[in-house]
Amino acid sequence: MTRYDALSDTRGQAFWQGLDQLLEQPDFRDKVDRHFPVFAGFDLARRDILKCLGATLALAGLDGCERQADETAMPFVRNPAGGPGAERHYASAVELDGVGQPIIGICRDGRPVKLEGNPAHPASGGATDAFTQAALLGLYDPARSQAPRREGAPATWSEAEAMLSELAARLDQGRGMGFHLLTGPLGSPSLLRQIGELRSRWPAMRWHVHAPLAGTVPEAVLPLEKVQALVALDADPLGPGPFQTIHARGWSTRRRAYQAGDGDALLFVAEPAPTLTGVASSERLIVRPRRIEALLAALSAALNGRAAAAGLTGKEQAWVGRAAQELLRHRGAAAVVLGAHHAAALHATVEAINAGLDAPQASHAPANPQGEDLAALVAAMKAGTAKSVMVLESNPAYSAPPDLAFAGAFQRVPLRIHAGLHPDETAELVHWHLPLAHLLESWSDVTAADGSCVIVQPLVRPFFDVRSRHQVLALFGGAVADGRALVQETWDAHDGVDRWNSWLLSGRVEPAAKRSAAPVVPATAVLPVLSGPGGLDLIIRRDWSAHDGQFAHNPWLQELPRPLTKITWDNAIEVGPALAARLELENEDLAELSVGDAKVLGPVWILPGIAPDTVLVHLGYGRRAGGQVGEGVGFDAYRLRTSGASWHRPGARLRKANGHHPLASTQRHTTMAGHDFVRYVEQAGAALPPAPEKPSMYSPQPKGEGPAWGMAIDLDLCIGCNACVTACVAENNIAMVGREQVQIGREMHWLRVDRYYSGAPEDPEHVFQPVPCMHCEDAPCEMGCPVNATVHSPDGLNLQVYNRCIGTRTCQAYCPYKVRRFNWLDYVREDPPELRAARNPEVTVRDRGVMEKCTYCIQRVERAKIEADADGRPMGEVRTACQQACPTQAIVFGNLADSSSEVSRRKRDQRDFALLEEANTRPRTTYGARIRKGRKS
Amino acid sequence: MRLALVGATVVVAGATAAGAGLVRFPFITQVGLVQDQTVPFSHKHHAGELAIDCRYCHAGAETGADAGLPPTHTCMTCHSQLWTGAPMLAPVRQSYATGTPLRWSRVAQLPDYVYFDHHVHVNNGIACVECHGRMDQMPLTWRAQPFTMRFCLDCHEHPARGLRPPGMVTRMDWSDADRVFLKSFGQRAAARKHLDPLRLTNCETCHR
Repeated sequence: MTRYDALSDTRGQAFWQGLDQLLEQPDFRDKVDRHFPVFAGFDLARRDILKCLGATLALAGLDGCERQADETAMPFVRNPAGGPGAERHYASAVELDGVGQPIIGICRDGRPVKLEGNPAHPASGGATDAFTQAALLGLYDPARSQAPRREGAPATWSEAEAMLSELAARLDQGRGMGFHLLTGPLGSPSLLRQIGELRSRWPAMRWHVHAPLAGTVPEAVLPLEKVQALVALDADPLGPGPFQTIHARGWSTRRRAYQAGDGDALLFVAEPAPTLTGVASSERLIVRPRRIEALLAALSAALNGRAAAAGLTGKEQAWVGRAAQELLRHRGAAAVVLGAHHAAALHATVEAINAGLDAPQASHAPANPQGEDLAALVAAMKAGTAKSVMVLESNPAYSAPPDLAFAGAFQRVPLRIHAGLHPDETAELVHWHLPLAHLLESWSDVTAADGSCVIVQPLVRPFFDVRSRHQVLALFGGAVADGRALVQETWDAHDGVDRWNSWLLSGRVEPAAKRSAAPVVPATAVLPVLSGPGGLDLIIRRDWSAHDGQFAHNPWLQELPRPLTKITWDNAIEVGPALAARLELENEDLAELSVGDAKVLGPVWILPGIAPDTVLVHLGYGRRAGGQVGEGVGFDAYRLRTSGASWHRPGARLRKANGHHPLASTQRHTTMAGHDFVRYVEQAGAALPPAPEKPSMYSPQPKGEGPAWGMAIDLDLCIGCNACVTACVAENNIAMVGREQVQIGREMHWLRVDRYYSGAPEDPEHVFQPVPCMHCEDAPCEMGCPVNATVHSPDGLNLQVYNRCIGTRTCQAYCPYKVRRFNWLDYVREDPPELRAARNPEVTVRDRGVMEKCTYCIQRVERAKIEADADGRPMGEVRTACQQACPTQAIVFGNLADSSSEVSRRKRDQRDFALLEEANTRPRTTYGARIRKGRKS
Repeated sequence: MRLALVGATVVVAGATAAGAGLVRFPFITQVGLVQDQTVPFSHKHHAGELAIDCRYCHAGAETGADAGLPPTHTCMTCHSQLWTGAPMLAPVRQSYATGTPLRWSRVAQLPDYVYFDHHVHVNNGIACVECHGRMDQMPLTWRAQPFTMRFCLDCHEHPARGLRPPGMVTRMDWSDADRVFLKSFGQRAAARKHLDPLRLTNCETCHR
């Protein structure tokens, strides 16, 4: 029994409260008093403290006299390809809701340490979203299932194989009668082939798809690079989800063309609560969800030259008028998009409008409704006709609408099998739980957002006793199949064949040999008409970080500040300022939200820009199983859903409850307090007023012959998606500190994305501002450091030397931008071996008492410099991790000494400005002012 | 009182001086210290008497950051034919048969916050002997130089001193070399490669 045992049963947020809780336990206090009687009732006089300080100072130097600990060196028995320490790149993909996100996996000594977008794939172009970056940590998650389990007890694969082949024999006799397969949304051609084969072998079996985030129609993938005027009605193409990267890339291509004077980039958004698309738009109309139908009708009427129907407010009419005018002006390069969760009839109207506008073709094929929905499965289970159910990569026990009563019906099935990554809520209800291999350690294939396919190749051998999803399905065929052969069979290729090798090399099947349609998503029930009963409108959305709940166990995502609220480690009941005032609610007050029979208790967060009488909640929290990290974090918003109403529910009630639940938000202030941190220009081509050169008391920095590194961040392109922050975490071994530490402002992110509002709280203008270290040429931190641990390099980098730092935190106090992070505690030493394996070996892991900050990815700069020096050639381009991940190319890093570099071009732009110019620090990181309008006038 | 102050000053100064001396002692720097190894490998025999090239075993020296200890497979290229039954080599054969790595005590060890890269040094003409000493004369391996920051800086402050023709980096014995030629070669090479001490002694060169 160690003192840590007291912590092992804690769940979720409590997991991170460990150290303080230990100190509060009375028996622990007693033990301390027994072992250290001198400290019992310890009362120290001022002089004693000074003596101790003096002695500490005198002895501190002795630390350097310590002899280096001996180290064991263990060479490989056979060297891996490329030799020890070599970096290997493999093209592959990870999957989100059945849509492939193409990646280049970077491996060191046979283990993946970083995922980057595949520059050669049109669905990525080198960029990623936050989920893709965080998939790396998912691979190393210590909470993953590591071996098969039978009714909760450990079992072996041979037992599972015997069970499955016995089941297969039984099903062969009954042509599959009574067997149901439940999957999530699928995008793998091999998996579809395998399911197709099972269905032809057992015609009576039934296949169901459970997609908790699917709308009534599949989400459209729009060629936004061609769209000069876009009208988004309660839709969020730039928001988190499987198509964020491709949409953000397209939007940014269009926006940059507009900046350069080529056409317009207009975005009209009508929505009940702010989304990333709404925030990026300058024509944002706040409406309650029930108004979308009327707006669409009015827009359709206006486009056809008819008078708009009555009943629109003046503001709505003006918005519709402007939107229609711009759509018509840009015929051929204009489009309307409606949220996928709206009724199919409304989508028909949108399609008609788009056809009339000659809109660029959305590349997504219509849904392929081969699989039945979850309700059909529950009906079969309740009727007792379901004799055996296999759940593959889905978690209906958590994410099914409560009115289906999935768990109760499921438990009536005589044989229940679950195959998944985690021992989740569904796994707790089954007879057999089969652990699956993570996509980064298995062979598979997946359809990407542009419709082309990617062969998924393993970056590492599986760590645990797991099988790929294809191997598990193949077990019905009897023998254990080779994972690679199963995929090759789909593509009619085998090892050594040229085209198979070229697919693996490029990360893209060319030509799209078997172009699969959109991921299979079942049509769910139609949105009920939101006629107006009293009460509030409840909006339920996927979460920025937890998505549908599958990432609730990922600390990189949990600690990622949500773009608009900047809350970490929680979800909240989000309401507008007026509603909060009426109900006398303050931030972090507990409130009871009820709709129909369902109710949840959660903390309130006041979100500007939300429609009146509207409440917003996010899915994916309140997990009850699957791992310590996510369990007990937030409240479960799935409980507010019904199978008929997944996204909007009218008639909700909100009531102040007793109590307070402190939230860990990283940005409490929302105004700029008189500073102009963020600047605007009215339209493309406009200039900011020139900044006069100020005198400086600093001596000029020595100018080297080499490069001068700098960064430019275009606020007009930043959509606040957080991909850069996650990429920085993955690249630079940034420690996750947990909820309590974030609450007291000790988060360790080197790059933060600030969010500012301007205008009225009910309808503000939003803007995001990524803030890394500014690498000031006249850096106050360098003046403050008493031990010269932060110094300037000749190529303009502001360096932090960890082994010199003694942790006075003077630099942090001197930094006007507050980008320096201090290791208050030892956040990493107790990390399990799995998490150590995920670290980037090129970056020092920082210890307690050391200051750290953005280094401009100095390991990448040094690597490029060393490779150039070793080969005797000039240094090439360097890309930082944040720049690499950014889907809109808002961040550009490069050599300012080279006037032809992209960063030099951005800095010559008249929109370029320095943050806190009045501090006269001459930062190397500068910003491009945001452009208010999307058209030249 | 005054005596006590003087005494205290002397004690503090003495302790500082002793500490500063202590870090230069071989006990701390481990120069010349031979460690127990699983297999008593002799560089003197292999590199000296048999004249096997350094890079046969340390293959990464020219291509990567890590020169690399040889994998068991490399040992067995010869020892599957020679000394196949020698008891001394039993751990090597066992490692090869079972696939478990050999465990060596590391001799050339740098702190974790130092990022040393072999190939940029080797390809630019820093000879092995500069840091590793006369390996061809070591029956058992020891550290030839104190791997302190001062040792690294000595070279980075005067890059011309250590530069040799890149084709000759594995040469161990330079006693009969033409001193004048080496000096002028080093100066010319340093100028050609723009080896600026200001850049080479910058923190980020080794620490990141």
